Amino acid sequence: MDEPMIVRPEGLFCPAGGFFIDPRGRVDKALVTHAHSDHARPGHGRYLVSESCLPLLKLRLGQEIQAEGIAYGKVCKIGDAHVSFHRAGHILGSSQIRVEVGGRVWVVSGDYKPQPDRSCEAFELVKCDVFVSECTFGLPVYRWQKEGVIHQQINAWWQENVEAGRPSMLFAYSLGKAQRLLRGLDSSIGPIFAHGAVHPFLPVYEKYGVVFPKVQKPKEGSGEWAGSMIVAPPAVEDAGWTRRFKGASRGFASGWMAVRGARRRRNLDRGFVLSDHADWSGLLEVIEGTGAECVKLTHGNGEPLARYLQERGVDASMLDGSGERTGEE
Amino acid sequence: MARESVQEKSRGEQMKGFSELFHDLDEMTKTGERIARMVNYFEHAPKEDASWASWFLAGNRIKGVVKTGELREWASQRSGWPVWLIDECYERVGDLAETLSLLIGGNKEADPASLSEVVQGILLPLAHADRSEKAEALKRAWNRLRPMDLLPFHKLLTGGFRIGVSHGNLCKALAEVGQVDPAIIAQRISGDWDPGIRKFEQIVGEERPEDSWCRPFPFCLASPLQEEPNSLGDLKDWWAEWKWDGIRCQLLNEENGGLLWTRGDESVGESFPELLKLSPHLPAGLAIDGEILAWGPEGMRSFSRLQKRLGRKEPGPSVLKKEPVRFMAYDLLKMEGVDIRTLPFLDRRKRLESMLAELPGGFPLQLSMPVKSMDWDKLAKQREESRDRGVEGLMLKRRDSVYSTGRVMGGWYKWKVDPYVADMVVVAAQLGHGKRANIYSDYTLAVLDQQQELVTVAKAYSGLSDAELKEVDRYVRKNITGKFGPVRSVRPGIVFEVAFEGARSSGRHKSGVALRFPRIQRWRRDKKPEEVDTLENLLGYARMGERVMEDGAKTDDAGNLLLF
Repeated sequence: MDEPMIVRPEGLFCPAGGFFIDPRGRVDKALVTHAHSDHARPGHGRYLVSESCLPLLKLRLGQEIQAEGIAYGKVCKIGDAHVSFHRAGHILGSSQIRVEVGGRVWVVSGDYKPQPDRSCEAFELVKCDVFVSECTFGLPVYRWQKEGVIHQQINAWWQENVEAGRPSMLFAYSLGKAQRLLRGLDSSIGPIFAHGAVHPFLPVYEKYGVVFPKVQKPKEGSGEWAGSMIVAPPAVEDAGWTRRFKGASRGFASGWMAVRGARRRRNLDRGFVLSDHADWSGLLEVIEGTGAECVKLTHGNGEPLARYLQERGVDASMLDGSGERTGEE
Repeated sequence: MARESVQEKSRGEQMKGFSELFHDLDEMTKTGERIARMVNYFEHAPKEDASWASWFLAGNRIKGVVKTGELREWASQRSGWPVWLIDECYERVGDLAETLSLLIGGNKEADPASLSEVVQGILLPLAHADRSEKAEALKRAWNRLRPMDLLPFHKLLTGGFRIGVSHGNLCKALAEVGQVDPAIIAQRISGDWDPGIRKFEQIVGEERPEDSWCRPFPFCLASPLQEEPNSLGDLKDWWAEWKWDGIRCQLLNEENGGLLWTRGDESVGESFPELLKLSPHLPAGLAIDGEILAWGPEGMRSFSRLQKRLGRKEPGPSVLKKEPVRFMAYDLLKMEGVDIRTLPFLDRRKRLESMLAELPGGFPLQLSMPVKSMDWDKLAKQREESRDRGVEGLMLKRRDSVYSTGRVMGGWYKWKVDPYVADMVVVAAQLGHGKRANIYSDYTLAVLDQQQELVTVAKAYSGLSDAELKEVDRYVRKNITGKFGPVRSVRPGIVFEVAFEGARSSGRHKSGVALRFPRIQRWRRDKKPEEVDTLENLLGYARMGERVMEDGAKTDDAGNLLLF
């Protein structure tokens, strides 16, 4: 049987609709699940994304790109394919893309998490025949606690640092995780600052109903940071930018922090286990929930998950052409 | 009122007291903070707990509690995940104790248990239980302990208990608690002692004569000589001798027998009975520092011969005959029960000489002789004989130096010969452990044989900066060509300059050669895989006349699991 989606060097391709999902290289029609750089790449002819993803995509790739936003759940026809976008719960505007051709249904999940997150749309389970799932955290050692618990840990750490008279530097990816963290900070503890890379996305989040405490930009060279919370992307962890926050306690919020070695390697004072991806049980729950007869895994070291699913009678395998990934979220 | 609630709290959080200590030490990055944290723990913990904590932090372990295979099986039953999946997790996490803790989860509602309760109620009984009892006991433990207790518990269970506390810092903390000299603490907590019997007061209390004889003194360590030797001043102030390539040991003697202690605080007397046979001929109240060497009728043999004796308790007559050893004595620390470590080296040396002179001949005990020279230049020439003599270089000891605890600059120096160096290419990689978990940081290295084929000769994992490690990790991930268990074969492309101390024959590597102490010196970005060294070169370094295949090394081929 002809499948709605096939793997091409550029990525997943729909022959019936002539479009790619999250492609590499340069293609004409790109459907993009979310605005992270390993999914939304520059150089394509036209982009189709969810409505709330559109402003984020333009901030990332430039206002001049040819891009359109589509409401969640609305079905459109591209060639002979019926396409709709569904909430993925990963970051604001993130989607799973449902593609139906001749009665056969694929869902390409992009990145997703079923756990509640007050900074983005809630995950929606979509039934399908073939489910293309991420598997970033595809091992049972990855188990997430409720985000409220982690927010409490972060605020408690911040409070400790205030009492010790030192700044708190919290590293997190500038799109998605940073906003999720800012959303959970208790502004009664002290002033909140964010790196310049974080700020542009805040108005977009606010437009879609996410309420932030007051977030300032740190001014050049200005002196007193004790008691402040500074949210910054990991890219500046060792850069000159962070030097002004003398004596800061350094924390990092990521699913990778579940493993001690990851925290120690980065020489961090604290690691907070907060991820925008599904944990192991989240992956299993969603995969089972889709009712898919066939599961293709991508974006991660998915062999263990594939084998586990196979042993439970699911036709699971790695999607061709996807490599190991560790660093990004 | 307030006081009562504090007591209540401390009573209620005893095991947490230790768990908290463990997690805090694990997270703290500054030495001063760590020492202060330990002092705080020792001062507040119940005394039985403090004894056990000292014992564990000193690097002791309860052996044979449970086999890791069994542990994985029961963890599998408990968690519902298949054993292979637990192994995959272990590979990712790089630490079995942590893996199990993440998978088991613990009991959030459980009451705290004290450390001694955990040790005496769970760990010690486990060591004597049969298989099914063990499985049951472990299940009970998992129901009993809270999430934060699991990692320290599993660490105690699996034996590997390292949280970045050096022996010296532990001694400092205990010394502060008891207001005693760290050297006395060091002596009290080294060697074999039972924390169930020895009270914490005895560890940190005032010195008593009876608690000393059976434990070794902390070893005096030499610093590497990094300057020109004449920076040390007049050669007349220094004593030079060969740096022996054996097992550093203290030989203790008392009326009721002798003991041999390694630097790793292991008692190895059972492996070397011919040395303990010396006991009746030696005076009581004695401690000699020296080195065990493989020594045949032809003289000193290579270190690899000594490995045939290591870890083999009560060797039979044929092994004793085929692989004889002897003790090369070079310092005297205690005589007639008196600690003479603070005497000048030369005085200690003279006493050692006169004592050994009274021994009848034919014993496997001899004096390490001085290397005499007129000046530093001539000494440097003599040092060049090191490789031919099978020694690692020279030891330089200040004639007036005391026998200090640990590595104290200025007293003893090791002036080693330069290592051999060769360029090698990475052909396989494996995820590291601990700080390097989930990073491809353990490398298998190869050189070219006569057919221009790459053959593996070593595994190494040290010597790269964090940034380089990351870069190599990225390369490995992109260039994996095969998967063999945890090992990934890698397309040859990364060339390292590797330093090593020698080569010996080994069945472990395809090449038939294994290197001693290989370590990565630098990344040769300028070299291509086809430009690496040849096996012939390495064989030349190795002076390998006898190519005996060994029957499974007692240590790994990097030599890393040796007693020191």
